Amino acid sequence: MTDLYMAGSADTPEIDFKFSSNTLEMSGEAYPENGVEFFLPVLKQLQAYLKTLAGDSVEFNFKLTYFNSVSTKILYSLFELLNEYAKANPDSVKLNWFHDEDDDTILSFGLDIQEDFPWIDFNAIVVA
Amino acid sequence: MLIDVFTLFREEADSNGIVFYYSGVLSQNVIKAMGDSLKQKLQKQDEKGAKSRKVFSTFIEMIQNAMHYSPSSPDYVPSSPDNDISKEGSIIVGKDNDKYFIICANFIEKRFEQRIREKLDPILSMTAEEIKLAYRQQLKNDQHGDDSISKGAGLGFLTLARDSVEPIEYALRSAVGSEDELTCFYLKATI
Repeated sequence: MTDLYMAGSADTPEIDFKFSSNTLEMSGEAYPENGVEFFLPVLKQLQAYLKTLAGDSVEFNFKLTYFNSVSTKILYSLFELLNEYAKANPDSVKLNWFHDEDDDTILSFGLDIQEDFPWIDFNAIVVA
Repeated sequence: MLIDVFTLFREEADSNGIVFYYSGVLSQNVIKAMGDSLKQKLQKQDEKGAKSRKVFSTFIEMIQNAMHYSPSSPDYVPSSPDNDISKEGSIIVGKDNDKYFIICANFIEKRFEQRIREKLDPILSMTAEEIKLAYRQQLKNDQHGDDSISKGAGLGFLTLARDSVEPIEYALRSAVGSEDELTCFYLKATI
């Protein structure tokens, strides 16, 4: 499956989904005018990719520093997809949750993800 | 405008702790530029870390909400989504002692008054813990549910309420001259 790369902008994140090496990364900020329109194709590609995997391990580096409420909602669905895959293939999904030391908003969203999606191996990393 | 009057306006704003003020057309491009300006101003005030992030987040939630709810004239066809000059709003960010306040104002169609009350009134009476619970619940809800108008499916107001250190406030006032069709919606949060 072809890798997915989208350059970031002021209101959209950089998306670097290296499907070929099972390494997914998202960074920057996310507050597009229409979050659903922006993220839906990304979610669809991720879903298609997960279907091609035969239990392989996936690593997701989550490095977003800001996302608005619409994006938050869609990101939640994204992690739901990863959790479903991890449920069918235990110990396959590692989520590295990069957050600034004093950013309680991002950390608390991460902890919500950890609680709701227990099949994902959640790993909080403080960015110095 | 007379230069003296404008001087007074600027000096008054400065002495009242106004960090940022805008009134005019709302488009995503305008919002991006304003967000950039606000970030720089907060940095200049040495407002780093959690507080600065929450001011920025509150600003974006409010102004995007204003853009989405602001009525488009039925006979106006924009040449592109970023050229929709029919959407307008005002927003102010200021500092009072050590707290930031953000107030946003925009016109809404009168028929949306009720749904805004229904969404905000319950939040206004919630404790911080209840807001957190409602936020979690809303996050788990299906993408859109039965709510096709609300872009954030109800998470936006809860995000504002969660980050505000004082209860959020709102007001709905009749639009002078267009009382039958339009209402001016004010929303305030404190960070």
